[in-house]
Amino acid sequence: MAGETRLSRTREGWIGRFEAMASPCEVQLRDVSRVLAQHVTDLVAAEAWRVEQRFSRYRDDNIIARVRDANGVWVEVDDEFERLLDYATSCWQLSEGRFDITSGVLRRAWRFDGSDRVPSAAQVAELLPLIGWGKVQREPGRMQMPAGMEIDLGGVGKEYAVDRALLLARQHTSADLLINFGGDLTASAQKPWQVGIENLRHDGVAGQISLSQGAVATSGDTRRFLLRDGKRYSHILDPVSGWPVEGGPHSITVAAARCTEAGMLATLALLRGKDAEAFLQAQNVRYWCLWN
Amino acid sequence: MQLKKQNQPTVCAGSVAKTLALASCALLGVPALAADAPADQWQVDGTVLLYSETDRVSAVEPVIKASRTFKNESKLDLKLTVDSLTGNSHNGATTLDAPQTFTSPSGKDVYQVDAGDVPLDDSFKDTRVAVSAQYSWLLNRNLRATSGLNFSNEYDFFSVGANAGLSWDLNQKNTTLSFLLGLESDTIEPVGGVPDPLTLQSDNLRLDSSESRTVTDALLGWTQVMNRRWIMQLNYNLSAASGYMTDPYKVVTLIDPVTGLPLEAESLGGTDIGAGDGQVYELRPDSRTKHALYWENRYSRENDDVIAVGYRFMTDDWGITSHTLDLKYRWQLENGWFVQPHVRYYSQSEADFWYESLSEVDYNAIVASNDYASGDYRLGKLTDTTVGVKFGRDLANGRKWDARLEFMQQSGDTDAADVSAVIGQVGYRFYW
Repeated sequence: MAGETRLSRTREGWIGRFEAMASPCEVQLRDVSRVLAQHVTDLVAAEAWRVEQRFSRYRDDNIIARVRDANGVWVEVDDEFERLLDYATSCWQLSEGRFDITSGVLRRAWRFDGSDRVPSAAQVAELLPLIGWGKVQREPGRMQMPAGMEIDLGGVGKEYAVDRALLLARQHTSADLLINFGGDLTASAQKPWQVGIENLRHDGVAGQISLSQGAVATSGDTRRFLLRDGKRYSHILDPVSGWPVEGGPHSITVAAARCTEAGMLATLALLRGKDAEAFLQAQNVRYWCLWN
Repeated sequence: MQLKKQNQPTVCAGSVAKTLALASCALLGVPALAADAPADQWQVDGTVLLYSETDRVSAVEPVIKASRTFKNESKLDLKLTVDSLTGNSHNGATTLDAPQTFTSPSGKDVYQVDAGDVPLDDSFKDTRVAVSAQYSWLLNRNLRATSGLNFSNEYDFFSVGANAGLSWDLNQKNTTLSFLLGLESDTIEPVGGVPDPLTLQSDNLRLDSSESRTVTDALLGWTQVMNRRWIMQLNYNLSAASGYMTDPYKVVTLIDPVTGLPLEAESLGGTDIGAGDGQVYELRPDSRTKHALYWENRYSRENDDVIAVGYRFMTDDWGITSHTLDLKYRWQLENGWFVQPHVRYYSQSEADFWYESLSEVDYNAIVASNDYASGDYRLGKLTDTTVGVKFGRDLANGRKWDARLEFMQQSGDTDAADVSAVIGQVGYRFYW
């Protein structure tokens, strides 16, 4: 999975760039030497690639594949994967089942490619028995899932990688840092970074936040949707019905202490459809909603 | 794994965000919310310290500290301390196999100490109120200035101080050099007036009603991040005091070196107030220069436990040299709990003018040569050992509490120096 990193000079320091998780990724540093900037960029990139390799659903040599291919047999899991499963469990409980890492099988019916290929009700209904975190059994160090089900950590992985990368980078430098994996980002700096909140559909900037400590993450369907008979089908699928959540914003950006929280708050808000903003207001967090 | 019932009323405001914050801390293996100190709020730390020496002094010391960091990264720290001391304080005299007689601090009353007892003054009672304010601000990205004021007041003591300093971050903030200069002016108004030093207490000779001293402190500091787990700090402190340093309530006992019994004031031409009243007011030099070096190392282990090792060396021109060794180990437990055992060892040599007691010949020689004498055990040879434990828990939103319990055992060359004490403290931090 290892790719390459590129380092360039900025007005205040350095920016390191690389590709991971199908996104452009970058690390910005202020007031450090080239050697340290390269070192930190390499560390961050290595962590991004490691998380991608371990938890990507597109591979057949990792724990996600082993669980998927276990055919109902118990599978041993390590500490890191267990912590991710614990986190997913908390999110599943908090969302009353609306956030479910087993809902990825719905992709077999739903392909959000901008086309008008909306699946039939029967196609969707056929997949519902394969969804439900409540059907998964867990014991310390191992888990078991009915055959045909699969786990998709797509809703957690990138944000987790961002937070992990910051923790690692912090162990090597106390310089000002901004880590940005495809718009999910985190900062640790004395002097705040000015972060623009993108408005992807209108190619403009929806807002700006001054960030010295904390994270910002976006969840939304601005690029992934279906359009049929004038109706837009969001890629946010309700795992209970198997159908897209209706009436909600197209994308939500949330600021929080860590990227994992920010991303999950945005996702949980999207899952609430038209009540998304009310939910975010009740959480007392900074957010930006894009409705049209 | 049960799915929660649908249609359950949505939990209270912000609770999803709070639960998620805890869950993501657990996911990342970082202490839950400890780092989430709310911005733009006052950080308030309240502590109460209880100090109790066996048969001696007891103290209660509540402290409130409030600090706030502003948007421009300047910081204001405010502190209020109230100290309340009661109990029996050693009056400087030696322990003898004969009764001794003293006057109270005001000189108006007389009290006796039985043979074999450590001479203690039981009228010791004092309340101190101290306030301080310190403000620091950035001059540029790597240079920070600080300045502060402090006041302290007791019924017989008033102190006002000011300080100013700079700290400079270098080497990508891996090195910090700091310099601080402090000035303090103290006024001492002993009860009943300033005693005439080295005269018999029974004569109750008083000079002015007050005395003063000034203290100048210079501090040079070097903090170095050695590697990502190890931080080292080295400080040098020069302190120069001039003025009245004598303790107006302490005496030195005059004894017969052959019999070991106290001399009588009347036999020295003084006023007779009772048996064993040959006690003279102490006298210390009117200047003192101290040099102190402090070296601290903090090492964070892989599992977030922290080891702290500190050593302090002090030497002054009174002849006192001291060594302090301080060891702490912080066990970081689950759910924000920590336990921190602590061991401290302190030892000091005696001042050149410290005497357990004086013979008449020595006393006359000291007076004739304008020399000094004190029997205060705190200027004598001392060894203290403190062991204790602190524990506490980090809570949500940056709040935390802790409690400390320590035992101190002190010994020296005299019975007066043998003191044991229990120290208890509770603290709570919140944001407002």
